[in-house]
Amino acid sequence: MKTLLTNPAGWKSLITFAILFLAWVSGFSARLFAVIRFESIIHEFDPWFNYRATAYMVQHGFYNFLNWFDERAWYPLGRIVGGTVYPGLMLTSGAIHHVLHALNIPVHIRDICVFLAPIFSGMTAISTYFLTKELWSPGAGLFACCFIAIVPGYISRSVAGSYDNEGIAIFALQFTYYLWVKSVKTGSVFWSVLTALSYFYMVSAWGGYVFIINLIPLHVFLLLIMGRYSYRLFTSYTVFYILGLVLSMQIPFVGFQPIRTSEHMAASGVFALVMAAGAFNYIQTRITKAEFKFIFIFATLVTSGIVLLAVVGLTWAGVIAPWSGRFYSLWDTTYAKIHIPIIASVSEHQPTTWFSFFFDLHILVCVFPAGLWYCIQEYNDERLFVVLYALSAVYFAGVMVRLMLTLTPAVCILGGIAFSKIFENYLKEETPPVINNSTKLIEDKQSVKDKTPSKSSQTAAGKSKKKPPTVVSTNGDCSNGEGVGSNIRSIVTISMLLVLMMFVVHCTWVTSNAYSSPSIVLASFSSDGSRQILDDFREAYYWLSQNTDNDARIMSWWDYGYQIAGMANRTTLVDNNTWNNSHIALVGKAMSSTEPKAYEIMTSLDVDYVLVIFGGVIGYSGDDINKFLWMVRIAEGEHPKEIRESDYFTDRGEFRIDSGGSQTMLNCLMYKLSYYRFGDLKLDFRTPAGFDRTRNAVIGNQNFDLTYLEEAYTTEHWLVRIYRVKKPDEFNRPRIPVSERKIRNPGASAVSKKSARKKKGTIYGKPVVVKGKKPKSTSTYTSASGML
Amino acid sequence: MFLLRLFMVAITISATYSIEINPKILINNVECLVDLSTQLVKGECRISLENNDDKPVNSILYAFEPSYKNHIAFVSAHQIYESNRLGLHVKPVALLGHGDKQFYQIDFNATRPLRLKSRTPIVIEYVLTNALYPHPEEITQKDRQLMMFNGNAYFYSPYKTLKSSIKFQTGTRRIEDYTIFNPVSLSSGDVIYGPYGSLESFAYSKVSIHYDNNTPFLKVTKLIRTIELSHWGNVAVTEVVDLAHHGAKLKGSFSRYDYQRETNSGVSSVKSFKMYLPASATSVYYRDVIGNISTSNQRTLLDSVELDIRPRFPLFGGWKTHYTIGYNVPAYEYLYNSGEDYLLKMRLIDHLYDNMIIEDVTVVIILPEGSSDLNLKTPHPSVRLPDGLHYTYLDTIGRPTIKLKMSNVVESHISDFELKYKFPKAFMFHEPLIVIIAIYILFITVIIWVRLDFSIAKDVHSETRQRISGIMSAIMYHIERRANVYNSWDEALNKLKHTKDVNSYNTTVKQIQADYKNESNGINELAAKLKTESVELTDKLNDVQKTEKLLKELYGQTQALYTEKLIAGKVGRNQFVELDSGLKRKKEECQERITQLLKSLN
Repeated sequence: MKTLLTNPAGWKSLITFAILFLAWVSGFSARLFAVIRFESIIHEFDPWFNYRATAYMVQHGFYNFLNWFDERAWYPLGRIVGGTVYPGLMLTSGAIHHVLHALNIPVHIRDICVFLAPIFSGMTAISTYFLTKELWSPGAGLFACCFIAIVPGYISRSVAGSYDNEGIAIFALQFTYYLWVKSVKTGSVFWSVLTALSYFYMVSAWGGYVFIINLIPLHVFLLLIMGRYSYRLFTSYTVFYILGLVLSMQIPFVGFQPIRTSEHMAASGVFALVMAAGAFNYIQTRITKAEFKFIFIFATLVTSGIVLLAVVGLTWAGVIAPWSGRFYSLWDTTYAKIHIPIIASVSEHQPTTWFSFFFDLHILVCVFPAGLWYCIQEYNDERLFVVLYALSAVYFAGVMVRLMLTLTPAVCILGGIAFSKIFENYLKEETPPVINNSTKLIEDKQSVKDKTPSKSSQTAAGKSKKKPPTVVSTNGDCSNGEGVGSNIRSIVTISMLLVLMMFVVHCTWVTSNAYSSPSIVLASFSSDGSRQILDDFREAYYWLSQNTDNDARIMSWWDYGYQIAGMANRTTLVDNNTWNNSHIALVGKAMSSTEPKAYEIMTSLDVDYVLVIFGGVIGYSGDDINKFLWMVRIAEGEHPKEIRESDYFTDRGEFRIDSGGSQTMLNCLMYKLSYYRFGDLKLDFRTPAGFDRTRNAVIGNQNFDLTYLEEAYTTEHWLVRIYRVKKPDEFNRPRIPVSERKIRNPGASAVSKKSARKKKGTIYGKPVVVKGKKPKSTSTYTSASGML
Repeated sequence: MFLLRLFMVAITISATYSIEINPKILINNVECLVDLSTQLVKGECRISLENNDDKPVNSILYAFEPSYKNHIAFVSAHQIYESNRLGLHVKPVALLGHGDKQFYQIDFNATRPLRLKSRTPIVIEYVLTNALYPHPEEITQKDRQLMMFNGNAYFYSPYKTLKSSIKFQTGTRRIEDYTIFNPVSLSSGDVIYGPYGSLESFAYSKVSIHYDNNTPFLKVTKLIRTIELSHWGNVAVTEVVDLAHHGAKLKGSFSRYDYQRETNSGVSSVKSFKMYLPASATSVYYRDVIGNISTSNQRTLLDSVELDIRPRFPLFGGWKTHYTIGYNVPAYEYLYNSGEDYLLKMRLIDHLYDNMIIEDVTVVIILPEGSSDLNLKTPHPSVRLPDGLHYTYLDTIGRPTIKLKMSNVVESHISDFELKYKFPKAFMFHEPLIVIIAIYILFITVIIWVRLDFSIAKDVHSETRQRISGIMSAIMYHIERRANVYNSWDEALNKLKHTKDVNSYNTTVKQIQADYKNESNGINELAAKLKTESVELTDKLNDVQKTEKLLKELYGQTQALYTEKLIAGKVGRNQFVELDSGLKRKKEECQERITQLLKSLN
């Protein structure tokens, strides 16, 4: 009769709290591999821009950030950063920074940026717990929470240092879904307002908000079709839609898109539909059935006709923008390859392989269909939502590797439901508890076990307001489980536990080996096991920042734009915000032209330095020669007369850099800049001079000299090579015999020649083809690394 | 730089009036050794002084050529007295009519002035910075770096000199050119002018030496050194360094291939250098704005920690870099105290690399929060900027901060400063208390939040639930009390069994019955209340009550068995034991049922 023992509610909340806390802690620490192995540093490409923008905001204030015109990007165009960025990420870390500094805690903004994603992953885990608890049971919630804390599919985007929109957006996504489910359940304005606010945060954080604004209407639509219309649904959707619409339009980057683009039209259509359903429901109570039927059919036909005509008309008139290229590529996977090579050139936009499903989700990819089945079997309003969520996310994850990220939470929720169900069936209170406290998962199991028996008594005591719908079915299943012998029961339990343990091992292994490299610092291991750090990227960027003019303009392929701006603080021509395809094509053209032609482009763009990545010395495969074909393709798209992809292949259609390669290839700027003086270099005794380790070939064009450029700096392992573009008075001009020399009026002719050529190249020669590049919407998903 | 000048002028003006060149002082012999082998010009002059005046001389003057005036970084002097070196006090002074030159006044020890007609040897050491010029100013990667030095063939002095010679050490055999000014000799890289005979004061003849100098020409253009003292036993030192190569500039391209393959490529460039930290330095870091610089090594020596610093890229002429070095040293080595008076004694400037030049340095000393009455004594003239406050972890009133500025600093300036201040010891508990109070407030808030109802609307459900749980806990209390009553009844019965004292038993039972009635009434009252709130629970409670009644009956039977049969001896022993144990079992069953029911009640 001791109170503690007779009060399992206390135990329950203690264990729940402990598990949530441990999930947070273990999720946080699993993401710290990169910090422990290397240092607290921003990773990859896009995070460098986000970091730079955050640092700018912290230094200059929010309003100056919104009005920030970045003249260091897209020279000579510049970029209006405030209007082309989702500011949620910067605001979040800026707010944390502000609060900490108000408390005199001098944490550097870089450290906040580095650790933001791991901290938010903990919050994602908590909101996943709440969402799953609403959908199924607290036990399933704890499972889902533990899964999402360590699942590699999510860790890949949220390791410490990966300071990207997705880091906080997944939290916002899960939390919005939780609030939506809650508001559908209760039908209260309070919860729907919270949903709209959370949606607002999501809009400010990531372009993926479009997923929410299409999924929620889809859910509502499905419920309407299934005849599950209710006032709860009406209240929650109308409040959410109107508030969410108004709020989302407050983000400068989004602006009027929610009422003007096709991606957002589904939401307003469903809004109209809900209104109509509400109206019919009301009319139904007032008139007879026959009249109603007539009105219903008539009104449906008329409204749908009007809506369709209106949408088509507005689209035709140009008020509503058609679907953007990136969205087409979601439906037609070959679309990007044909029309927008720049999207196709990004490795993250490739279709997902089966291997990566297992790699990122492990056992969850096998059990989540079971969870999905349970949800369909025992469906209700909110479980239909998770079913839709899972199905659409599976589709998108199959189309694009990076959208694996949106699938992961759904898989964790359903996997949690499946496991919880299994343990509910096989772990009855009679079964002896497995005494093993070493893994966290076992704790989960115990908590589930603790909760299962206590549930019925609680509801009986009137403690929990709503009787979970599972109770009835649980009892039914339990009676089925009663027939199973205790041996089978323990075998199933233990094998499930083993599977879960293997899941943990796999997650840790993947995180440690695949997702914890900062990618700007490379590490190699020598034969005695000692680690050697190849810090060439930072070496080159720091050289640029210290030893070039403050306003020097650096030309490089767009992948390195953000890093140059972030680490070297110099002006770039193109960067990872690939909004202007023709500008990128111009850079691609310069890289694929011969030196004199490239020099013309470079002088017209005021280029001072050219930066190329060359991996031939250390065998780094992500270098510019390997990406070169994309440069050619993108350049060909805009300048089909001057650049032809076929010129860069041999007659047999091979892409080669050895002596068998095509002459165009062996004489283009990119080739020369990568291999300048490489022909003299003998890497070891087994290979001849000029042996490229990445492509395993001796380079074809050796001993050439540069006329228009000179080597300004090359890093220790030749990974980054920087060339200075000579001024016109600096070249070694080719010697002309005295007899052939002509004296011309240098000023007038040079100018006219240049401008004529410029006209020909960029204005008249440009094909008038409307591509799928819409500057405003193309960067909905600001793309990240562009590796082959 | 400018501030320092002003400061020096300010000191000198006060002393200007009394200073004159004493014509009666003679320099018998002087030998100067000027070391040009590094980026610094380090001179050492051994002077034999003679006083021909009729009174003892307390101080003498030392002069620098006008061309050196802007390059002087450091001057010191010592007297050789009975084969001991005695340091002499040196201060810059200005002389009327000699504005173009720079004078230093060297004061003898008050007890040992230079007496009449006596001689004394003194040694003067000085360091000049930026006195070497690259010539040519720009070189390509494969060229060697050549330096030009413009000096004086004579010993420059306000006094007459009888005999002098100057030796310029270049440290290399590759001397391109030097001014022939007889008598001059060249031996293994040393250019020696002199010996010369009698010289008038301020004798000057320009000589130039053009020679090979590939030693590191590194200059710190700006250094910010922060010393943060904590009374918890740590001193954190941070040095933010702006470093530039100020030798001959690199002309044309930099070729990595040549740099890696050819040994004589880029000889004047600086790949790495060594820095010495205090021996107790721990947790050293070396980083810049984009992160840790992984190309460095640390070695612990007996008397220092050696840091092999390699910038991210080799420094060629005209290239620059920027980095931060930081380390911790234990406070007990530098902090002394007596009561509440503290003394911090630390190096004002520390070693950055060999033969360093620091153009501009700002030293920031941050004392613990609550320190007061600061009193700073610096070893070298410096400009003290206005004090400030620094806020860091858990600070409320801010830490007092001292800022100093110095310029043209070289290694010879490395020496200790002394900073006296007062610190009330009770202040040590200031920050832990803040943490404790913060956590306390947090808990209190949570407790209040959880215990009180802040909702604006009435939640009927939860109120009912709360009322029910209130009633239930009251019922539980009574049930527990009733269980105690049963226990005491059991005891009484047992006693009866052994003593067979019916009278005392009856009195006890009366008391027990009264207690029982009390509790039962309490429960019944509460059950009536409960009836209005929850039918379900009332039903369960009724079950409990029914079972309980059964239990009471059993007790009644036991009592009857004891009083009427056992005491009266109406039953046999065996029969009694049987009956007794049967009843006992039934009682236990009843109690078990009640416990079960109660569990389900919760």
